[in-house]
Amino acid sequence: MRPPRNSVLFVLLAGLCLAQSSSQYVTSEIRRVGDKLACLCGACKNTVATCQMLECHYSLPARQRIAKMQKDATSDAAIVGEFVKREGKKALAEPPNEGFGVLALATPVIAVGLGLGLIGLFIRRYRKPNSVPAMSDEEVRKYQDQIDKEFSKLD
Amino acid sequence: MENIGALAILLAFCLSIFSIVASLVGAWKQKQFLIVSAERAVICMWALVTTASGLLIYALMTGDYRLAYVAAHSNKAMPMIYKFSAWWGGQEGSLLMWNFILATYALVVVLQNRRKHRALMPYVTATMMVTQGFFLMLIAFSVPPFQVLSTGGKAIVDVGDGQGLNPLLQYWTMVIHPPILYLGYVGYIVPFAFALGSLITRQKGDEWIFTTRRWAIVTWLFQGTGILLGAGWAYSVLGWGGYWGWDPVENASFLPWLTSTAFLHSVTMQEKKGMMKVWNLVLVASTFFLCIFGTFLTRSGIVSSVHAFAQSPIGPYFVAFLAITIAITILLILSRLDYLKSESPLESVVSRESSFLFNNLILLASCFAILWGTLFPVISEAIAGEKISVDAPWFNRVNVPIGLALLFLTGVGPLLAWRRSTPDNLKRNFLWPTVAMVATIGILVAMGISHFYALLSLGLCSFVTWTIVSEFWKGTMAIMQKDALGFIPAVIALTHRNTRRYGGYIVHMGIVLMFIGFSGAAFNKDTTVEAKVGEKFPLGRYELKVTEIKTGQNENFIWQNAVIEATIDGKPFTTLTPERRIYEKSQQPVSMVAIKRQLNEDLYINFAGMGSGSQQPTIQAYVFPLVSWIWLGYWILLFGSLICLVPAKVKMQYARTEVVGVSTKHAPATK
Repeated sequence: MRPPRNSVLFVLLAGLCLAQSSSQYVTSEIRRVGDKLACLCGACKNTVATCQMLECHYSLPARQRIAKMQKDATSDAAIVGEFVKREGKKALAEPPNEGFGVLALATPVIAVGLGLGLIGLFIRRYRKPNSVPAMSDEEVRKYQDQIDKEFSKLD
Repeated sequence: MENIGALAILLAFCLSIFSIVASLVGAWKQKQFLIVSAERAVICMWALVTTASGLLIYALMTGDYRLAYVAAHSNKAMPMIYKFSAWWGGQEGSLLMWNFILATYALVVVLQNRRKHRALMPYVTATMMVTQGFFLMLIAFSVPPFQVLSTGGKAIVDVGDGQGLNPLLQYWTMVIHPPILYLGYVGYIVPFAFALGSLITRQKGDEWIFTTRRWAIVTWLFQGTGILLGAGWAYSVLGWGGYWGWDPVENASFLPWLTSTAFLHSVTMQEKKGMMKVWNLVLVASTFFLCIFGTFLTRSGIVSSVHAFAQSPIGPYFVAFLAITIAITILLILSRLDYLKSESPLESVVSRESSFLFNNLILLASCFAILWGTLFPVISEAIAGEKISVDAPWFNRVNVPIGLALLFLTGVGPLLAWRRSTPDNLKRNFLWPTVAMVATIGILVAMGISHFYALLSLGLCSFVTWTIVSEFWKGTMAIMQKDALGFIPAVIALTHRNTRRYGGYIVHMGIVLMFIGFSGAAFNKDTTVEAKVGEKFPLGRYELKVTEIKTGQNENFIWQNAVIEATIDGKPFTTLTPERRIYEKSQQPVSMVAIKRQLNEDLYINFAGMGSGSQQPTIQAYVFPLVSWIWLGYWILLFGSLICLVPAKVKMQYARTEVVGVSTKHAPATK
């Protein structure tokens, strides 16, 4: 290990401290609400609850706001509503079950349905009618001989 | 040097255009010299692209800070290996690498087929060169890698030292992750080019399938390896403890892997039964287009992602390229429908053939759902005027059931007979795997596990494992009896007889192990604490104690780490040293997490920093059960894929069989 030489960087390292007690906003109560809200930092696809950057410029203030509203006995739905009022629907971690948001979940389901329909059409089109002629013992023996002959050639 | 590099790219672009024209005119006018000339142009083009790549690497390694790219992505303090990997650390360099890999693939295809597939080759060459020409155009005119720094467009400036590679990319998996992923992405051009060539020339039979089968497996393997390396990097470097975050760029790499997996399954139907010819072409084309689309997503700035390159003007070019090539492919397929007719009928819904249909449906459903979720914020903003977020919870909600359905089909496929399965056959084959599944779920419930998806997933893993093991068991027993071999030689002989089938089963086993790893996520534990040095805090069965905080530096960065002792029931277990770094040039802080990897669970610790008020270390500690099974599963998957590439001992000939009649003894009674 080399001795420290760049005092400017060490000052920077010391300066990059976490905001006081940012870890205190990682409680199960805050997570319960934070799970319904998207982290809008632009760097992750996590929720406010699961964003692991303690100093995230979006999720930390969001968690602090949730904590404050919970202290004021605001219900979970009202807290989420407050976020939506401020940020729009993008504040939600999952599309809402109303308006255009319904399409988010409905479209893949419809697509699977269409896929099943296509498979049905394929089966209807290419399925051979289940009728094959009965063969005499002599014909069967002929095929059996051919099978035996081909099997003996395998190895 | 920069002039030679730029000139090499420009000449390579001209040669790709020449190659396209010469191939197509040569094929049209039946002029062999033009076709050969086009192929030689490919060789020259490769030499030029290699020269340009070599020059950029040389500039990065020697620190030619007159070049804007070198100044932005390299610096003197970086270790040599990261100076090399800076080649693909930025937009311009990574596009040059893309061109180099594509040129190398084109070279290999041309050299391999000097005497084979002569009717196909002009179109194969033209298809590959159209793509090559497009990517060369980007680096020749839009994002040139050899641009020099200048003052007011006049004097060239040498800044003396560069900014350095993004610190997050200075990690060993990042040295190999992008090239391996690109080998997958770019490699899909080869099956696509042969498919298109076959379509244009109306080739009889399935020549393009046999020719490109190995290419498809190899590129699929590269793509899968690249994705897993990316997951490993996210797990070990990003510090959020996840290996998959449903980030748009992660999704973009996963989409072509899903469609190519579907292709590798459905192609068996074409080989064995002459069915699904149109579908296979659609899958090959979709895979290629999704690769281009993924590149567009990563580089255009259309979606925000931590992985994306900086916004650049190349997005519209990609849209135009995709629109034109998709339109041409659709027109070609539609004009050749008569020649793509299925050769065999489907005899029964309960058959191996049907299981392939459903497997394809599930894979494509997953692909569509991920694509839809990735683009939904953009679509909602464009149509409804309001951006709607689609984050990890949505992707998990949609993809977990799809993934489990796929796992179920992985087990069901081998239990169904080709052509038709009788009720007796079904009862016999499904009994023990189902018993294994129910028993596993029962044991897990008795152990107190109640998470529905975890139970189902682990139960299905047991179901699939049973089917795979029994397939090997039955075959091995038959060979042991027939050839008087020991168990291990019989397993080897069995696998060697049909490498694709048994290699495929091993790949499935790898997937099962991965699903075991994914299931562990249901039982993650974590805690975030500000702990005084010497203070203990619990996490699961562990007790953790910060014993020391150390600080130091090297030429590239300064660091601060926390020495953390972990004990179980008071007994020393391990010491972990998570670290925080600040890179000198970029002054960007980066966390280097410490992980104690075990088969049952990983102890994962991130040193988030020092609390400003308390000056106490803030520690994020996690227990991630079963994560190691994901990486273990990859090694099994790799092994299975390599076996698939080994030529089988018994040459498989898939005669297009049909039932000509049944013995009167077994014929159904007629009225």
